Amino acid sequence: MKKIIFITFTALLFVACSSDDDNQPEYVPAAFEKGILVTNEGPFNNGSGNITFISEDYSTVAQTIFKNVNGTALGNIVQSMGFQDNNAYIVVSNSQKIEIANRYTFQSVDSITTGLENPRYFVSVGGNKGYVSNWGDPNDNTDDYLAVLDLRTNMISSTIPVAFGPERMVTYNNKIYVAHQGAYGQNNLISVISGISVESTITVGDVPNSMVVSGSTLYVLCGGNPSYTGNETAGSLVKIDLSTGQVSQTYSFGATQHPTSLTMDGTNLFYNLDGKVYKVNSASVSLPGTSIINGSFYTLVAKDGKLYAADAKDFASKGSLIIYDLTTNQQIQEFQTGIVPGGIYFNE
Amino acid sequence: MKQYFSHIIFVIFLCTASAYAQLDSIQHLPEVMVTDSKLIQFSKGFKLEKLSDSLVKRIATSLTETLRYNTSIYFKENGFGMVSSPSFRGTNAAQTAVIWNGININSVFTGQTDFNTISPLNYSEITIRSGGGGVQYGSGAVGGSIHLNDVYSFKKIDTTEVGLRYGSFSTLGGNASTTQTWGDHYLNVGVNFISSENDYDYVGKNQKNNHGQFVRFSAKVNEARKLKRGVATWNSEYTYNDRNFSGSLNTKGKDAYKDITTRNLWQLQQKVGLFNTKASVAHLFEQYNYFPNSEKPLNTGGKANTFIGAFQSEVLLQKKVRLNGKVEYTYVEAEGDNVGDNSRKTLAAVVLMNHKLSEKFNYGINFRQEFLNDFDNPFLFSADAKYGVSKNYALRMNGSKNYRVPTFNDLYWYAGGNIDLQPETSYQVELGQEIAFGRLKIDVAGYYISSEDLIKWIPGNGGLWQPVNISKTRNYGIEAVLGYYIKFSNQQSLDFNANYSYTKAEDLEKEKQLIYVPFHKAAGTIEYNFKHFSTYVQGLFNGEAFTATDNSESVDRYTVFNIGAQYTLPFNPNITFGGRLKNVFNVYYENVAYRPMPSRNIQIFLNFNI
Repeated sequence: MKKIIFITFTALLFVACSSDDDNQPEYVPAAFEKGILVTNEGPFNNGSGNITFISEDYSTVAQTIFKNVNGTALGNIVQSMGFQDNNAYIVVSNSQKIEIANRYTFQSVDSITTGLENPRYFVSVGGNKGYVSNWGDPNDNTDDYLAVLDLRTNMISSTIPVAFGPERMVTYNNKIYVAHQGAYGQNNLISVISGISVESTITVGDVPNSMVVSGSTLYVLCGGNPSYTGNETAGSLVKIDLSTGQVSQTYSFGATQHPTSLTMDGTNLFYNLDGKVYKVNSASVSLPGTSIINGSFYTLVAKDGKLYAADAKDFASKGSLIIYDLTTNQQIQEFQTGIVPGGIYFNE
Repeated sequence: MKQYFSHIIFVIFLCTASAYAQLDSIQHLPEVMVTDSKLIQFSKGFKLEKLSDSLVKRIATSLTETLRYNTSIYFKENGFGMVSSPSFRGTNAAQTAVIWNGININSVFTGQTDFNTISPLNYSEITIRSGGGGVQYGSGAVGGSIHLNDVYSFKKIDTTEVGLRYGSFSTLGGNASTTQTWGDHYLNVGVNFISSENDYDYVGKNQKNNHGQFVRFSAKVNEARKLKRGVATWNSEYTYNDRNFSGSLNTKGKDAYKDITTRNLWQLQQKVGLFNTKASVAHLFEQYNYFPNSEKPLNTGGKANTFIGAFQSEVLLQKKVRLNGKVEYTYVEAEGDNVGDNSRKTLAAVVLMNHKLSEKFNYGINFRQEFLNDFDNPFLFSADAKYGVSKNYALRMNGSKNYRVPTFNDLYWYAGGNIDLQPETSYQVELGQEIAFGRLKIDVAGYYISSEDLIKWIPGNGGLWQPVNISKTRNYGIEAVLGYYIKFSNQQSLDFNANYSYTKAEDLEKEKQLIYVPFHKAAGTIEYNFKHFSTYVQGLFNGEAFTATDNSESVDRYTVFNIGAQYTLPFNPNITFGGRLKNVFNVYYENVAYRPMPSRNIQIFLNFNI
């Protein structure tokens, strides 16, 4: 009975108070200079994503920082974020735009709202140019492209048609390596972009979903085709020698293993597979490596002896960022984020 | 024959008199038979609310609007005219059955009915039955059921109605119908349509609803023929919807949806000795096409045919015990771009019993067992009772076990569909009180629903979403309905109706309120009548509803008001015209997060009776 009274009372309270996007008191630090930034995609169909800031010393956590600073929400599906100088380029895929904000204050600088169609990721090259991978119409496999941004004017200066399903990008020697994960389908290519043209394509395993560059080596983690495609293929880890642009080695997973979220710290590679985080020494790769942590994460980033893991839970409630110490493989912190935390970045 | 008719009339009258105050239409139409008579005969201990004709005509845009203002059902509507799914007693859209002339018409693919695809003008009667109806109506009648019924009569009828509507946002509507009887024949034919640019302002947001255009066309034919010892009836309807889907506050609308449904029901009623028998055959067809980009022809779609054959027999023993036995065979075949080509067979046996123990006490016991289909078919039962304590006070109670079978999307969707799913099951109890003092009528009901094995799509390893029988929920709440009517003189009267509901719907694992179930909802209408003129004020309060499963985000509570008036020409009572100003105070509100509802707008109408 007490419970019912409590529930009723709380319910009344909810009605009586004006509602707010989040129940925590708003905290607006002067800057977000040293710490972790987490992009939260937000609820899938109806709502806005946002960004969580956690200070380096873990003493401060601020939610919805872009909205707190600028008064407006970011938009639907905050997919990812890229940087150049003091600017953060926040890719808001379903709102078809990029919000540009100062990465330390999150004061809005500009926004790009034309020329993007289902934008996914942003990288910058050479200071003045940015590249944005775009799916185009997700039901049309022939209209995918990279938008080239002039970072001085924040205008799209040209577009580069590319193969189906461009997703994550990394840069090396002023070239951009685009992983064609395959949007709603599957693909198996890396495009090499130089200037405003596709210089070459490198065939890798099916569904290249994450990449890291170490020295002149590009590691590409391929998930493999999932079983529902009727053409299931094993996941693989592909090593590409960037000086030659050739695949130097391919390591295969088990036939029904589909790894995700490749990240690297020092010489160790980390990834997620079947509810576990594995560690593999890049100098002597043997798969699947050592299982070090239990959990299925939406994304992983290893950095300076720590593993940052985003847990999206049921994708319809607030997720969390869990930080593990990679020497002990023990959890050292957990912070609440927004809904569907999908990107982890650092301000140093 | 006559006796049989008069008995039905008597039952209808009883039910009408015991339901709440808005039931004003049926008394004026004597000797009218409902095609689904078991709704009334075997639901004594359930709350039935019938919407009056005038009320339906007043809010003729969509079934969503009709019900939102007159029941405690919450509609999760993706912007005006867009996909609209109900939450009845805190249950989800697939747990609310829509019943057309006794047949469950929820989509084979989604298990739901989109209430914006249904024209409220296409039926003679719209009745809301609260509580579990699984025994009578099969899968999905968990929170309650909405009944769209046609009627027939062999009295002299010759009426033709034509209505025209015009409103803000380039909204145009029209309806025409005629009802004729001759000899042993009854015929009712009608068409209606609505089309709208639907380009309303998002209040205070400096944005417009640029991609929410919709068109709906419906047609119906209802025919009955009196036979020597019975009646043959045919009910038929066709609906076509073509909609562009609205964007949200931060996304542009791009996609579009077209759907077609046809429904046909043939029934033959015969009296054989003591038994009233009914043989029926029905065919339902549904087809949808989803266009990710409304300007491109590319689309995915599906279509389904449902064939139903049923036989039932009913007997009234000693004028006290009414027994009904029914066997129903259903064959569904569906094909779609995402679900392949599949079929389902179900054989159901239903036994219904109602016993009028005394003038004051009435109770019923009902059973259903299904066979043939691929699940562990649960045995469903329900029991209900009504006790008239005094002239002014009656008690009503019911309990039931209900279920929902997985939909074709749940089972066969590519990718993710799970053929190992089992039906959801649910238990419900309800206690209701009906109070009537002259023109004051009050109905207060409390209910408790416990559901398990609820089907939920969850992300698995590798990011693939799959449905599993995982959730458990507990819903409980209170619903109150109040009606009051004051007659000042022969020419003036005041009519007041209001309803309020408190709904607690809890996910037992998370211990949180389910999303899109507001705790509080209230609506009310005051109508003033003076001779041929009437005017009303209508208000709706919708409490805050959570949109995230941890209850961290929500849509705000809102209150909207509408006012309306109508006038019937004194020298020609066949012409009525009027209008309605909606969202009088131009408030911003949404039923789904980031999906604004219309700004202030006006609708006018002109109705002719020929």
